[in-house]
Amino acid sequence: MAERTLLSMTAPLREDFAIPYHDIGDPQRRPRAAFVAGVSGTEINGIFVLARLASFLANVAAGGHPTQQLTERVLVVPAVNLLGVNTRSGPWPFDRTNINRMFPGYDAGETTQRVAWALLSATRDAHYRIDVRSSNLDFEELPQVRLYEPRSEEREDACLFGLPAVIERPINRLYTSTLTYAWRAYGGENFVVQAGQAGYLQRHHSERLFRALVAFLQRTGILRGPELSQEEEDLHYFGPRQAVPLLAERAGMFVSRLDVGVWIQAGDVIGHIYDAFDGSIRAEVRAPVAGLLTGLRRQPLLCQGDLMARLHTLRPVADIHDEHLHDQGQ
Amino acid sequence: MDIRLETILALELPYREELKLYRTVFDGGPGPRVAVTAGIHGDELEGLYLCHRIAAWLEELKIRRPDALRGRVELYPALNPLGLDTLTRTVPVFDSDLNRSFPGHSQGLLPQRMAAATLASLAGCALVVDVHASNIYLREIPQVRIAEEFRDTLVPLAERMNLDVIWLHGAVTVLEATIAHSLNSTGVSCLVVEMGVGMRITPAFIDQLLIGLLNVWRDLGVLAPDLPLPDLTHQPLLADGSNVHYLNAATSGMFVPCVDHWKAVTQDQLLGTIVSPHQGETLAEVRSPVDGVLFTLREYPLVYEGSLMARIMAQEVSHG
Repeated sequence: MAERTLLSMTAPLREDFAIPYHDIGDPQRRPRAAFVAGVSGTEINGIFVLARLASFLANVAAGGHPTQQLTERVLVVPAVNLLGVNTRSGPWPFDRTNINRMFPGYDAGETTQRVAWALLSATRDAHYRIDVRSSNLDFEELPQVRLYEPRSEEREDACLFGLPAVIERPINRLYTSTLTYAWRAYGGENFVVQAGQAGYLQRHHSERLFRALVAFLQRTGILRGPELSQEEEDLHYFGPRQAVPLLAERAGMFVSRLDVGVWIQAGDVIGHIYDAFDGSIRAEVRAPVAGLLTGLRRQPLLCQGDLMARLHTLRPVADIHDEHLHDQGQ
Repeated sequence: MDIRLETILALELPYREELKLYRTVFDGGPGPRVAVTAGIHGDELEGLYLCHRIAAWLEELKIRRPDALRGRVELYPALNPLGLDTLTRTVPVFDSDLNRSFPGHSQGLLPQRMAAATLASLAGCALVVDVHASNIYLREIPQVRIAEEFRDTLVPLAERMNLDVIWLHGAVTVLEATIAHSLNSTGVSCLVVEMGVGMRITPAFIDQLLIGLLNVWRDLGVLAPDLPLPDLTHQPLLADGSNVHYLNAATSGMFVPCVDHWKAVTQDQLLGTIVSPHQGETLAEVRSPVDGVLFTLREYPLVYEGSLMARIMAQEVSHG
């Protein structure tokens, strides 16, 4: 395994810094897969899982797992927004720029345009490209693959991760400035894998995510050997019109006893909104339809209009709200 | 002339309080409606002060010549009130750029509801001027920014705004989520004014824009045709992708300019240096790539590689 540098840069006051990544496998070959996390500095699950994945793949490449063989070259970038990770900031901390709104980037442009361009340049030659995300600070996502107006082979191969949900979403205006959109111009297959909640590490999500990434490498032939995980997830594919977001019409404190990943019936209680001053119940939040709870609010402080939960249904529903949420990067 | 404060949106916050969007309405008659929007970014204050100046001017007009307001003027000085209250550019909690949330949705997230309520309130206006104040990093001369697709409608209006530059830019998908694009796409003319710097006000720039606004409003019939107004004092230059040069920092450090903003510069002229607080040597010199005028100049000294330090509009005739 080689540690390579995505981009080296001076800094105004501290020492020069470099954004490193792992280059594992035969360096003469074209990279087959590229994994990226930490474009946002607070998405810890992805950063941790990719660091562990790099360690595992390096060990395989060095012969540490006799039953496993790495047949292809793999790139792993655990964190792009280094300064953000170190200062617990989602955006690039110096100018508060969201790096995932700067693609495709520009090598002579603003700082984050340069970072974006360097990342795109390093990963664009890979056939499979995976951006590992961890939602935001308020909302927990069931581990899932997200596809944006995918091609047929992406639809098929999204199932190779073995995660419980593959969710298809439309492309919107903000999405056109993201890493996965920029990747599309170079062909291949592109995936967003989303798991958990930003700001913290959720061990159970991370472990599931790790197994999913290894399973994907095995099922695409990049890793050869007996499958390390024998468990089979109950996998569901959800189209763009199978998402039902639940938005708050009252503010207060939202508390739920549910876990993401459960199937619920229409009318089931999802949580309660309490008055944050007198403790009374302001609203009982019930599921409007039956579905899989793919996302749940974990930040209790609730404004009017906040997203509390997202359900995915077995059949399409005529709900346009999800498109608008998607417009906001939710 | 009727003057009133109206609430266009109230949303509950978690603990007792509400977020409210206000507008001040000056109603003089059945003539055209015009509006000024400001404070969409919580660190931009120039537009807030402009709204105060317009309100003071109209209140004085009500005493002096109330019949001279033939239409209606609406002021929206604080479209992102939580951001302004907390010195935050974005909508706090959501960390969401309100000017990337349009057209919004009345049943969506809080920033989307703010956007939708604002657009609904502005529907039917003959002209909306959305005032921005750059950001905390860059100082801008008074300018109008116009997307190429709306040039035919907007440039004639912008030419009368008493500003220094009209900057035409190409289509950028992300910019379709701005208030200006949403308004212009639905037939409400909206000019985006950029001037000054974040977290500060520049009274001279406000005076300059106020003259232009009043003249345009009189042209549109919002103000009586016989109402005396100060003459325009500035004629804009036209900037576009072909004549604007960006100067990005070659290295990180502290940028110290040695020229004034909005001055003519010559090719290879020294504009400033990048220095290190740790040592005495100069890390980089910043020189003009062309003859032109300096219409953007960095205000915040620290730079990372790539940070924008200046924009220069190439031209042969010197100014200033």
